[in-house]
Amino acid sequence: MKHEITLKVNNDTYSLAIDPWRTLNDVLREDLNLTGTKLGCGSGDCGACTVIVDGRSISSCLTLAVEMDQKKIMTIEGLAPSGEELHPIQESFVEKGAIQCGFCTPGMELSAYNLLSQNPHPSEKEIRESLSGNLCRCTGYNKIVEAIAESADKMKPKKKKGRKK
Amino acid sequence: MKGNIIGKRIPRIDSVPKATGTAEYTVDLKLPGMIYGKILRSPLPHARIKSLDVSAAEALPGVCAVITAADVPMGKFSFFQWLADKTIFSSDKVRYVGDEVAAVAAIDADTAEKAIELIQVDYDPLPAVFETEEAMTADAPLIHDQESNIGFKVERHFGDPDNAFESCDFVVEGCYKTDRVAHCCLEVSNCVASWTPEGRLSIWTNAQAPHTQRQEVARILEIPLQDVRIINSHMGGGFGSKLVMDMKLPIAAVLSKKTGRPVKIQNTRAEEFSTAKTRYGYTMYVKTGAKKDGTLQARTVRVIADNGAYHDKGPATLNFSSMMFATLYNIPNIHYEGMVVYTNKQMSTAFRGFGNPQLTFACEVQLDELAEKIGMDPVEIRRINANTPGQKLQCGAVVPTCGLRECIEVAAQNIAWKEKYNRKDKLRGVGVANMVHTAAGGRYYGYNATDSFIKVADDGTVSIVTPGLEMGQGVHTVVAMIVAEELGLDMKSVKVLSNDTDLTPYDLGSWGSRATFVVGNAALATAREARVVIIETAAKMLDTKPEFIDLENGMAVARGPGMPEKSVSMGKLAAYAINNMKAPISVKGQWADDIPEDWDIKTEFVKNVRSFAFATQTCEVEIDKDTGEVKVLKFVAAHETGTTMNEMLAEGQIEGAVMQGIGFTLMESMTLDNGRVVNDGFLDYKLPTFGEQPEIDVQLIETGDPHGPYGAKGIGEAGLVPTAAALANAIYNASGIRVTELPITREFMLNALREK
Repeated sequence: MKHEITLKVNNDTYSLAIDPWRTLNDVLREDLNLTGTKLGCGSGDCGACTVIVDGRSISSCLTLAVEMDQKKIMTIEGLAPSGEELHPIQESFVEKGAIQCGFCTPGMELSAYNLLSQNPHPSEKEIRESLSGNLCRCTGYNKIVEAIAESADKMKPKKKKGRKK
Repeated sequence: MKGNIIGKRIPRIDSVPKATGTAEYTVDLKLPGMIYGKILRSPLPHARIKSLDVSAAEALPGVCAVITAADVPMGKFSFFQWLADKTIFSSDKVRYVGDEVAAVAAIDADTAEKAIELIQVDYDPLPAVFETEEAMTADAPLIHDQESNIGFKVERHFGDPDNAFESCDFVVEGCYKTDRVAHCCLEVSNCVASWTPEGRLSIWTNAQAPHTQRQEVARILEIPLQDVRIINSHMGGGFGSKLVMDMKLPIAAVLSKKTGRPVKIQNTRAEEFSTAKTRYGYTMYVKTGAKKDGTLQARTVRVIADNGAYHDKGPATLNFSSMMFATLYNIPNIHYEGMVVYTNKQMSTAFRGFGNPQLTFACEVQLDELAEKIGMDPVEIRRINANTPGQKLQCGAVVPTCGLRECIEVAAQNIAWKEKYNRKDKLRGVGVANMVHTAAGGRYYGYNATDSFIKVADDGTVSIVTPGLEMGQGVHTVVAMIVAEELGLDMKSVKVLSNDTDLTPYDLGSWGSRATFVVGNAALATAREARVVIIETAAKMLDTKPEFIDLENGMAVARGPGMPEKSVSMGKLAAYAINNMKAPISVKGQWADDIPEDWDIKTEFVKNVRSFAFATQTCEVEIDKDTGEVKVLKFVAAHETGTTMNEMLAEGQIEGAVMQGIGFTLMESMTLDNGRVVNDGFLDYKLPTFGEQPEIDVQLIETGDPHGPYGAKGIGEAGLVPTAAALANAIYNASGIRVTELPITREFMLNALREK
């Protein structure tokens, strides 16, 4: 039997009828066509499917969509503030060379967002620990650490969640 | 070199789409009417198929087609067709856990999976063999209808090693082993196949070599080449795993033909670990001899490479490692013997370095053993034996440029070698290793050339059509940089079109550190052609001579003696060419490697490599005596780049490769149980994470190159070639434990420390 749920994804509200065994990852990608959320392993080990739910990062591949009824979900498509092309995290990933194949990038950026919303001034060690659930096979991680540190700096001084272009 | 663009730290041209999640990968693709395929794979490592019953699967609602060996062409296939040994589906026997037996297509992935479970296969198990040296014994089960499990052999010989060893002051012998490791691309292998009503097949897939895969698809399906089109998207990693066609391509094609609908097949992560191929595991018997002054006199090796159940890139891997074996140092007496041996395991394939990381591990660890016997510092023995620019080696290779000595100096200095070597405190130590690698792919196709096309639009932008295959390494960005540099444009004014075999000129793909070199050279030739035409057009428009025109900031600017400066924008100039000259600006350029016509690959194999790049890596480790953990404190990676095209991208290639090298050395390993991969997920197959990555001091040594674009050398693979040896040598320096087998797990270290 399908379940009727309401998903609030980025700034859109979707009413869906879905099978109870389907994951949030599957529904985001297949039903809502939000393919920026990747699937790397399907078992919660790689972090490529990371999304933000009610302000917390989760693995969308391990989350049943029915559990997400009425929850506020942010995917990579919703990271940049409205009217802006890039969020400071994305901007730093671009400028610091933190992206190669790019498949882990959306998950990395959302894990970084999660970290910076809880800890706006993380040390290098805190960045490494906080993102240890996100795998990257291309970059060697160091440029990602640099990018996150730089974006924290960018986001710091402005009071009204501002950002510089 | 520092141009306006070349040499700068310029962000990748695809980084904004990737950062925003809008970059489309094949795995994101959905076509109208698309259905889902799934492959039934063998659960046994070696067995006869007694019977196969698909009726229950066919009867399941939602199933659109079920296919077996009876429904597909059954000619044998291999990357090297003269070694063909694999059919699309197994009909009589299966040879590894994962071998393709049947496939279904259904309206959704769940139904396809259910249908697969309903296929009844009756197997008669056969004895299986998993270790190469066991597979070489007389009573080993034969995997193919051949006299032995040895699938291919190669030998190289220079000088007289036997005699030379007699006259050496010091000789070291040993056996070294490297494991089979997985590429672990974050995007799994997948494809969508679809036929046009006219009977043409399109396959969207993540391929590193679309043009050769196109030939492979046509060959295995026994259809004309013109009927196949391969389309790439952004690609979630390659590293060698996606060079040769995967069987899911012809399987999806046949399912699509049968159902008249696009069919998608996508590996699960477990399937990827079990079937997407691995690095060739090498067992290497190495012997090296030197005089007491440290000069190397003779070296021999016997390589036994683990083929897995079918042939793939084995001969290329062995040939290539034999070349690097003969080129790293100028050793006058050399013997190389290599073979690939069948086992009942998944196939091996190319993996960043084509056998060179394996062989370099053995040779560079043994060099340290030799240095110790002589009583010589490891850095010193490497300095003494390092090649120099312009040197002609005994094996016939010439190294026109060679920055190895500079690499050794900077790598030793930046790790503080003098202070840290042999300090023998707190289980800390430093290690060093050299390497040589191709900087320009290989010529073994007998052909190493490619084209590109440029058009200048009346909006002032320039489009280049290039076959450069972007798998994450950055070749599209490099191509755009070359065009921007030559035509005086900013990066935003250059568009790169690629990814479709109907559009792009023929090319061999992204492997062997060749893309910047080969595709970059073609882009440079094309951009220079375009420059000539643009300048001629501008001269007409501005009523001056071509030699007074320069291209800068998106403008053609005329400056000459006694004339006022005049300029015109690229857009106006293109419009003028279209409207006034009736000659829109579009050009073609080509680069072709001047392969000698009388080249015989068998006797002059070293000429397979156009240009070489040398490197030295040093590192510092600390071993935890309670856990056996090897903590990598720092790496210095000093690499010859010829000319650094983009510092940020070059660093990225080397940092990433060192990380893969750390995984290869310290943690990655496939655990098998009767041929089945047990650790088929990231929880159990350990990859390096943020925590394992040390500081990496990347030093880019610019020595130039006579053939590379702007003097650049390819650097895609080099970063992990010496990593394992540098680490193993540092571990010895820290602990006195000489490691000859990878991976060097914590368990191994802990036991070794206790035994000491």
